[in-house]
Amino acid sequence: MSESSLPVTVIGGYLGAGKTTLINRLLAAEHGKRVMVLVNDFGAINIDAQLLESADEDTIALTNGCVCCTMGNDLYMAISDAMKRTPRPDHLIIEASGIANPQKIANTAISDPDLTYNGIVTVVDAENIDDLLADPMICAQVGDQIACADLLVVSKSSDLPIDLRDTLERLSDSEVILADDMQSLLGLTFSDLSSPPKNVLGTHHPTYTQWQYQGDVCLDRNDLKELMLKRPRGIYRAKGFVRSPDGSGWRVQVVGSTISIMPEVSCEQTIMVCIGSTMRFDKSACEAWWAT
Amino acid sequence: MSKITVFKAKKIVTMDPSRSEATHVAVQNGKIIAVGGADCASDLGECTLNDSLADAVLMPGFVEGHAHLMAGAMWKYAYTGFHDRVDPHGILHKGRTDIETVISELTKHERALSPDTPLVGWGFDPIFLPGERLNKGHLDAISTERPIAILYSNFHVMCVNSPALALAGFDEFTEVEGVVMGDNGHPTGELQEMAAMFPILHRLGIDFRSLAQSEQSLRDYGLVSRNAGVTTITDLYSTMTEDDLDEMIRITSEPNFPVRIVPAIGAAGADPEQTAAKAKAWSAKSTDRLRLGSVKLMTDGSIQGWTARVKAPGYVGGQPNGIWNTAPAEIFAMCEVFQREGLQMHIHVNGDEASEVALDALEAAKEKHPENNRRHILQHCQMMDYDQLKRCAEHGASVNMFSNHLWYFGDQHVALTIGEERAERMNAARTALDLGINLAIHSDAPVTPLAPLVTAWCAVNRETMSGRILGEDLQISVDEALYAITLGAAHSLHLEDEVGSIEVGKAADFAILDQNPYEVAPTELNKIAVLGTVLGGGVHRI
Repeated sequence: MSESSLPVTVIGGYLGAGKTTLINRLLAAEHGKRVMVLVNDFGAINIDAQLLESADEDTIALTNGCVCCTMGNDLYMAISDAMKRTPRPDHLIIEASGIANPQKIANTAISDPDLTYNGIVTVVDAENIDDLLADPMICAQVGDQIACADLLVVSKSSDLPIDLRDTLERLSDSEVILADDMQSLLGLTFSDLSSPPKNVLGTHHPTYTQWQYQGDVCLDRNDLKELMLKRPRGIYRAKGFVRSPDGSGWRVQVVGSTISIMPEVSCEQTIMVCIGSTMRFDKSACEAWWAT
Repeated sequence: MSKITVFKAKKIVTMDPSRSEATHVAVQNGKIIAVGGADCASDLGECTLNDSLADAVLMPGFVEGHAHLMAGAMWKYAYTGFHDRVDPHGILHKGRTDIETVISELTKHERALSPDTPLVGWGFDPIFLPGERLNKGHLDAISTERPIAILYSNFHVMCVNSPALALAGFDEFTEVEGVVMGDNGHPTGELQEMAAMFPILHRLGIDFRSLAQSEQSLRDYGLVSRNAGVTTITDLYSTMTEDDLDEMIRITSEPNFPVRIVPAIGAAGADPEQTAAKAKAWSAKSTDRLRLGSVKLMTDGSIQGWTARVKAPGYVGGQPNGIWNTAPAEIFAMCEVFQREGLQMHIHVNGDEASEVALDALEAAKEKHPENNRRHILQHCQMMDYDQLKRCAEHGASVNMFSNHLWYFGDQHVALTIGEERAERMNAARTALDLGINLAIHSDAPVTPLAPLVTAWCAVNRETMSGRILGEDLQISVDEALYAITLGAAHSLHLEDEVGSIEVGKAADFAILDQNPYEVAPTELNKIAVLGTVLGGGVHRI
């Protein structure tokens, strides 16, 4: 399943939630990807000196091929530049400002044919989220950041207190993981859905699961759309090619609540791959869903 | 000693309270050395008479306290707006008052373009054009091969033709927020907000930053300033880099560059300590025509976009409250750092909740760092009423009001945004003056056209486009309005000792007018023609 367009993940979350910490870890992790990150504030990126290849006024290059750039005052210029960069990055991560609605940035990835939407990850600070949601000045914007997320990452906590889970469930039905669970984050974000889940950090049990179908299923657009709308809840990302009755086909992309179905000139075989965290993703539910 | 030039005028309106009128002004080394009659400088040395302005009225060069560098650069694209506008070269472009005219003018423009250039238009505003909305059908009638993109006046919406849609792959299968679909399930050509516009902008090479920061945009900014009689202008959210700064110093230092520029560095999204360090370092690089060292803070959005933060009872249509572009906590943190560092702050405040937070933040910062006493300035101030302005007076801050809104959006504010009562007290220049606050008024060009005399007319008459008077009690006098576009604005920028009036010791910066603003009816202020400017003694005729 080759893919020419550039996957984009947007990292959202209020001021001080831990976005920069998360980005530092994504940059430094052993994911084998040439990741490019666009950040607001360069000063906060403290890269381990051993990983540092070079740094100038607005770019840090790492020995693992990753690059971190400031986006200055013009996010869209920075995205444009990233798309023209050679060698082209394997994955683009954009840090939304602490006050921004990440959906607006994500919409760019949804709309541009050379970009692929890969989800909004919103970081939630376990220590102060209740105060923020009680502040009439800011609660609506903080709530929107959570509501638009495909994946919620809870920082500054070693577990997920029941009160916090309830709060987040009230605002979003997206998956919640802890910031310390890097394996889930890396797997859900970077896995290219073309090979079985890798053991990213070298532990024995992957914390995310993949389900795959290959066969002759043939659907028109409306039926396909309806089927995708009924997908099991635990699917975080899905990707596939589906044959159409007229001999052409459809390219399907799902991230969180976003579904994209675009025509393909030809499609010889239907392929569908779904991924989700082991906690929420049930392969048998997938089988049952697809069988309908 | 360099020579003295004495300019003769029909009348010189000085704005200097100690000598309000004159007929001659003597200039040496770019500075005013005498003001009065024909012999005002005769005992100061050898004088050369310049009578090229003898038929004109001179005023101090106008000071525009809130505009953006982009104002000149848009003219590289085809104008499609409803109102008459003058381009940087002084050519009048009549407003396109119906879709047919928009299309026929664009068609003329298209015929002159080279084959591989996209056709880009700007300034279109459907709010003024009843009937069918602009769509790809209209634009396909111009060309079905050349990509066409028409940017709307608010920069949040555009309309494109079929070849442009194809470039971005937008078709009946597209499900993207902002890509408007017609009844037939195909895109209409209208694209709303940046995410939907980006694929086209990216592919047609339109980037807003180069419109704001390029050699051409800077030169055009000089020309639009000259055309409006403006000799000192701000760039109120500068995104320039170190390289841009060198270029800007080089160009503004050319002998014939026609305007002084006061950029305020944008502070949103960055560490305030870094912004402060940059502002201070750049302040030391200031030149005669480029004045650095101030910073611009964002708070909320715009009232007409329903993104301003307004206090109860909120928007009359029940829209949710607006959005913060900078969180209140960040506004407090930034104010504290900039106050500590003694930097002047321009703070954008449209809604009354935003102005309240800005006042709270300024007061908190001043309490922590009372040793610095630099006047700050609240920008737009559209919904500030008596209680907030009183606090502003106590704090010693200036206000720069968006008086042009009364004409351009006043009717919309009554009907659609904040309703009649609050619309009537918008941009309360009268209240500010009664409280003794230093007042400036502005255009926010290119949002509305740069034309300080029109801005003055708006503040004096408070008339809307439909002809109603919005808040008659808040009208100000012609004298007060002229003060606001000269000395008031100069004072707000800490330049009152250098520009803003025609008096000895100040820069020889003049607006050249065809009539004396004190001798026309207050309702005719906007009809006075600007013939050019004088900057530091150099004449720039249109």
